[in-house]
Parts: sequence; structure tokens; C-alpha cells
Amino acid sequence: MFPNLSIPGLQMPDLPFAFPMGGMDLAFYAVAIVMLITAVFTVAVKNILQSAVFLIFSFVATAILYMLLHAEFIALAQVMVYVGGVVIFVVFTILLTSRLGEDAFTTKIPRVFAAFALSIAFVFVMVKCILPTPEIASGTVSAATDYSSLENISLRLLGYDVSGFIIPFEVVSVLLLMTLICAITVARRSKDEMEPNPKEVK
Amino acid sequence: MFVPSVTHPIGDFVRDLVPRVAEFLPTSLQSETLNSISAFLINAIICVVAVCAVNIGSAPILIYMERKVCAHIQCRLGPMRLGWHGTIQTVADVIKMLFKEVYAPSGADKLMFYLAPLIVLIAPFIVCALIPFGRNLVVADVSMGIPLIIAVNGFGVLGILLGGWSSNNKYSLLGALRSGAQMISYEISFAMILLFVVMISGSTNLMSITLGQEGTIFDWWIFKIPVLGIIAFILFFISSTAEMNRAPFDIAEAEQELTGGYHTEYNGTPFAMFYLAEYIALVTNSALATTCFLGGFLPPCIGIAFVDNYLNMVPGVVWFFAKVYFMIWCYMMVRWTFVRPRVDQLMDFEWKFLLPVNLVLLVAGAAYIAIGG
Repeated sequence: MFPNLSIPGLQMPDLPFAFPMGGMDLAFYAVAIVMLITAVFTVAVKNILQSAVFLIFSFVATAILYMLLHAEFIALAQVMVYVGGVVIFVVFTILLTSRLGEDAFTTKIPRVFAAFALSIAFVFVMVKCILPTPEIASGTVSAATDYSSLENISLRLLGYDVSGFIIPFEVVSVLLLMTLICAITVARRSKDEMEPNPKEVK
Repeated sequence: MFVPSVTHPIGDFVRDLVPRVAEFLPTSLQSETLNSISAFLINAIICVVAVCAVNIGSAPILIYMERKVCAHIQCRLGPMRLGWHGTIQTVADVIKMLFKEVYAPSGADKLMFYLAPLIVLIAPFIVCALIPFGRNLVVADVSMGIPLIIAVNGFGVLGILLGGWSSNNKYSLLGALRSGAQMISYEISFAMILLFVVMISGSTNLMSITLGQEGTIFDWWIFKIPVLGIIAFILFFISSTAEMNRAPFDIAEAEQELTGGYHTEYNGTPFAMFYLAEYIALVTNSALATTCFLGGFLPPCIGIAFVDNYLNMVPGVVWFFAKVYFMIWCYMMVRWTFVRPRVDQLMDFEWKFLLPVNLVLLVAGAAYIAIGG
């Protein structure tokens, strides 16, 4: 498809990854660039609501990455949980923050320095761990085609044989029920706080 | 090079046609890869144009229809002057709205102000791409249709909240917060009803949900499950009306209290986009009700072979749009018939009535499947 551009005698150093040459690879790079830009904007923008919106777009791009890896259910859960969650966050910022949109965040220098040191250390560890693995460049998909389909995930999640996850699933559902009941108990007015019934007053 | 391709009559036709047209090109431009890429792009453009045509094309029709339905309920005639029975009135309105100057109020957050109408339009367009309009007429036949619909519905709330906040107007902010609370609450029962449909049909793919209702009119999900189907349909109708912010649940706009709610400060094209999103949501929710309960594109066969032959001759798209417009007419009748509840009544209705009923319905449906189905 492309003309041969190699010059005899000039040898490029061998990189541990292959040059992107497929629809999937190009899609990955496009989505990754969008994700990085929105992630940078999330921390760089001064307005808290704007950064929430950029965070949502970053999460959506992550969901598309999951989609490219054929993990559809995780992608949908990502959109469902994070878009819903950030919407709630937006509501609370509007309700609880005073002078929204005027204030810019100012952080003291040691904190910026700590953030830089942490992120550089994180990048260093990631590169150190990922680069020596040769399978990343040449690896092929080894899982079955619809391994992550909704049906297979739910059968696995609710299965009660050795590979099933029914007990953790039930424990988590009981935990969520407990949180729900606790939230209602906290929010409920106690009896003496109740407004007097108009009929009784009369 | 990997180029996605799905077997489909229209797609196959394009994939056949492209190599034949490419023979007329100079030889340097002829290659298998280039052909498959251009066929893919042409197919993608066809899909996008189809979705836009259904969505944007139905908006003027719906505006005209709403005016006429409203007028006839109130014993008026509605638009009558421009064209036959006022048919050109909508075109005039659309042109007027598109040629208006676009400006933001002073002190508004410009980025968010212009981003909000775009975000509002995301959900209706994605949902429209998932709906099967006929046996071969579906843009995205994905296996997880219903979870995707539930997931993207969150964008609607986000757009309305951002629009209301960035307008720098107290009425807009109040309207946006009301609508946020309302849509987040009613989204739960909306999702529960869709879950009920998934449970009885055993699939999350909208195409197989439709095909599961094949047969006579009594095989549609609304009638197939004795009483539960009709209850589920009514609950879906209520919660989708609230989800769309339509009257009687339009406390977000409430002209008398909030002078228009979250889009008070919008004008020109951004306002048209909010309006468009509202009407597309009407189409997609009616289409969803049709797909989930009224048999989608299947004809209403009654079991008599003579009549059914004639009914089967009509293409599925016609049946689909007939059902969708019947549903839209129902939504409009409800809008102009019932009065608007107060905010606290609306919330009480959702959390104290609709949600418990939905949970009971889910359990009853499970019992029906375990015992009878």
C-alpha cells in the first residue's frame, strides 16, 4: 500500500512495538489522543464544572478503549456509572459551592512538586514493567470471541460451581441494601422533628 | 488491514458496487484495501444520513402535529393561513429560528453554554441508531442494546444541568436543578421497565426482542403476559413521559413559574437544538415502546389467514411508523389533558408509588416465567 522508503545502510534501532497498521491500531491511537487531551484539560481548567465535563469525555474515551478490546459490558458499565456519577457530582457542586466559576484553584508549590514526582515515578514504573514484555507487540487475542458478552459474564457471576461468583455477588448486594437503608435512616425525620399535622393543631 | 463489515443487503450492494466503479479509476488508485475502506466509509455515511433523516425530518412534522392536536383539544383550528391547513407554518418557523442571531448572556460560561445543546443531542441520536425499523433496517444491531440505552440516557440530564447553570440566570438554574432531580429519579423506573422487558424476552438485543413477538397480535409483549404486560406498558408510558420532561411532568420548564426553565436564555440555533432534542426523544421513546411492547415492525396479525395475508403485504417500516405515530399521538393527548403536579407530588409519585410497583412487577414477572413460561 505504501511505497518502500527504506534507505540501504541506514538501520533504525529496533523498537519493541510494531508500527500501527490496522483499523484497530489507528482507532486506538485516535481514542488515546482524545483521552489524553481531555485528561490534561480536566486538571488544567480553572472552573470546577468545566473540569467535570472534560472528565466525562475522558471516561467516555476510556469506554471506547474497552470497546476496542471487545469488553462491551465493562465499557457500558463505565459510561453508566461514571456519567451518572459525575452528573450527581455536578448537581452537588452547583448546590454546595459558593461563587462557582469565579474562583481559580491555587495550590502551594510543595503540592505541585509532590504531584510531579509521583506522576514521573508512576510513568517510570509503567515503562519499566511494560517494555521488557515481548508479547505485547506480537501477542494475539487468546480469549474466546464472546468471552465478555453479557450472557457469559452473568452466567459466570451467578454460577454456583467452582468458577462461579455467587457468594461475593450476594455479599455485595446485601452491602448495597445496607447502605440504602442506612441512607434512608439518616435522612428520615425523627418523630419529634415532624411538622405538626394541621388537623391535630386545629 | 482490518475493516469492519456486517452482512446486510444494502451494505453488500455497496461492497459489490464499489469495485465496479473503481475500475474506471487510474490503475494507481486500484487496490483491494482502498476499495474495502471506501465501501466501509460509504456505508457509514449512509447510516449517518439515515439516522439524521429520521431524526431531523420528523421534528417539523411533530411540531405541526403538536400544534394541531393541541388546537383541536382546545376547540381551535391551529395554524390555517400558510399553505393547505397551515402546513408551511412549521417551515417558516424553522427558517426564522435558524436565521436568528446567536448570542450568550453576559457573564455566562461561554464554553459550557454552547456545549450543553450538543450534549443534549447525544442520547437521542445514539438511541435512534439502535432501533430496528424493519427486518434489515437497523443501523447498529448490537447485542447489548438496552444497557446502552440506559447508559447514554445520562447525557440528557448532564446537558440540561450545564445549560441551566451556564446561562447565569436564576430561573434557568432552578429549572435545571428541578429537571436533574426529576430525570435522575425517573431514570430508575425507566430502567426497571426495560429490565422487565429483557427478563420476559430473554435478550438485550432490540432486534431479537422484536422477533420474539412474531405471530399474532396476542404474541406482542403487552398482551402475551396476561395482566403484567399492560401494567408494564402503562408504567413505561408514565416514566418515559417524565424522562422526556414533557407535560404533565414538565416542572423543569413550567412557563408560569420559571419563564421557560433551563432554556430561558437560549435563542436561535442552540434553542432549536434543545427543541430538536426534545422532539427526537419523543420519537425514540415512542419507537422504544413500539419495539418493546407493540411488536416493532411486525404487522398486527389477528390469526385469520385471509386478513393476515393482506397485512403481511405492507412493509414493516410502514407498520413501525404507524405504531410510532400512534404512540406520539397518545403522548400529545396526555400532554394537553392532564394538569402539572407540584415538585414534591412528582417526587413522591416516583419514590413512593412507581418504584415499589416496578419492583413488585419484576418479582411477578420472574414468578410468571418460573411457573408458566
